[in-house]
Amino acid sequence: MMSWMKWVPILLAAVLLSPLAAPAAGAAANHYCITCHGEKTVINKGAHLYIDPVKYELTTHAKIGCVACHDNVTKRHPADGVRPSRAKCQDCHSSVFSEYQQSSHSQYAGCTDCHKPHATKPLLAVSSRDINSQCAKCHEYSQTVKSHSKWLPRAALHIDALPCITCHTGSENYFITLYMAIKASGSPLGGFNLADFDDLRPFLSAGKNAETMIDSDGDGAISVSELKKFNTNSRYRNIILLGTMMPEVVTHSYQILNNRWDCTFCHVSGSKAQQISYLAFPGQDGAYGRMEVEKGAILDILYGTPDFYMIGFTRSKILSIIGGLIAAAGLMVPILHGTLRFLTRNRRKEQ
Amino acid sequence: MSPDTTMEKIYLTPTPVRIWHWLNALGIVTLCVTGLQIRFPEYANIFGTYKAAIKLHDVAGVTVSISFLIWFFYYLFVARNLVKLYVPNLDDIRQGLFKQAFFYFFAYFLGRQNPHTATQESKFNAIQKLSYLFIMFLFLPLVIVSGLLLMNIEPLRGWIVMIGGIAFLADAHYLIACSFFAFLCVHIYMATLGHTPFSHFRQMWTGWEEVESGGRSK
Repeated sequence: MMSWMKWVPILLAAVLLSPLAAPAAGAAANHYCITCHGEKTVINKGAHLYIDPVKYELTTHAKIGCVACHDNVTKRHPADGVRPSRAKCQDCHSSVFSEYQQSSHSQYAGCTDCHKPHATKPLLAVSSRDINSQCAKCHEYSQTVKSHSKWLPRAALHIDALPCITCHTGSENYFITLYMAIKASGSPLGGFNLADFDDLRPFLSAGKNAETMIDSDGDGAISVSELKKFNTNSRYRNIILLGTMMPEVVTHSYQILNNRWDCTFCHVSGSKAQQISYLAFPGQDGAYGRMEVEKGAILDILYGTPDFYMIGFTRSKILSIIGGLIAAAGLMVPILHGTLRFLTRNRRKEQ
Repeated sequence: MSPDTTMEKIYLTPTPVRIWHWLNALGIVTLCVTGLQIRFPEYANIFGTYKAAIKLHDVAGVTVSISFLIWFFYYLFVARNLVKLYVPNLDDIRQGLFKQAFFYFFAYFLGRQNPHTATQESKFNAIQKLSYLFIMFLFLPLVIVSGLLLMNIEPLRGWIVMIGGIAFLADAHYLIACSFFAFLCVHIYMATLGHTPFSHFRQMWTGWEEVESGGRSK
């Protein structure tokens, strides 16, 4: 009995690795591949052979399966000594590839320099910090701030708050994404870092996700009253919501559209795309989930997003009117007093 | 002013204070205009680009902050009459405020005399004292501190969060600025109430004020 059992994994692999079984069975075959490639001991044979099972499971590539890209893997791998093939990125991502080839980046970096095929995440599942850490591999932070300071006011603030691809993009529109940030210990003045799941774990009941901290009614959306509860809850006093702008679509041209040089492309009230906002929650797996925020919440100064403000854009209409009334009251004094002064000029001359 | 009244000149405003005043005036007008463009860029494009408005706002803000410090230290340590000039005394509160308000809003139109006499020791009437007290010791420090915080958001984020967040800070800065604009309107108008419409302006430029001899300032 034992003698035929040893053939079970090989038979299973034969079925699952068959090109005919992909891609439907491809994802299922991953399990077989990960059995070895998900073990850290495989690093002894080559660091590139290790695949983090948790990160890989989140990728779109996991859905199509290992053999979709490594299609010459045989039933006898690795005993057969055949080096598995690697599909080229452009085999599937041809339009992205041709767009990227036209950008100046293509001379310096290939696809996998930024996107690890076994760990890549969709745009919505990454934070702006994750995105910028990719850029920072080549574009050193202080140099980036220095070069942007030549024309961009508050360059460091912009670079800290925004993913680089917010400006270096072909995307016409943006949406606002709010991230939870937690106060860094030992930093009384500044020091708020983007919170990951481990940072938020002390605030969560067992088995609960980070979204339960704000989405108290569990309806899958964030209302202004839920933001109020979160912002006024003393338990969360060291957690704030920081906002950033994410491009609506991902492009690989990295061009700066002409209107982006004009500050008022962003710093202006009224852009419809910017009125849409989401809250990004860090998941246990390192990826971010997101939830839609009630429209107008970013304009509510008391309860919406007290720690996110973009001049010219998130101004409160009510306070703008109050300010206008204060200014108008000041103007009325010379007008009214001056009118009476004019009307009584003869009487004052007599005196 | 009766036809037989003679005028005499008194030196009312020392040079450092006049330099501070005009520097401050230029700064605050610049801040109001650039601030208008910064808050309402779609309605007010005065300086061409938003960036130009921001940079000018920063420069004017720092200038006003420094000139405020010069003013404060000058009066506190050199002239040593800060409290005497700017803090209303008991007489000001009991009678001065009412008398002065009555003059501005009623007696002035009848051609009556200003109840306050301007001297080097008592430059301001009760209403001026109270207004300048609020402006110089409350509104100006608040607008300077909020402005400096807004210029340094990242390094001072912890403090900004502690005082209620950046949205609160930015809107408070705006509302105080609107109060400054209101004050400016009243201040400039009131400066025309001298014995000629430009006499107070001239005084703030030369330092010398014309007052009725042995009598009232205008």
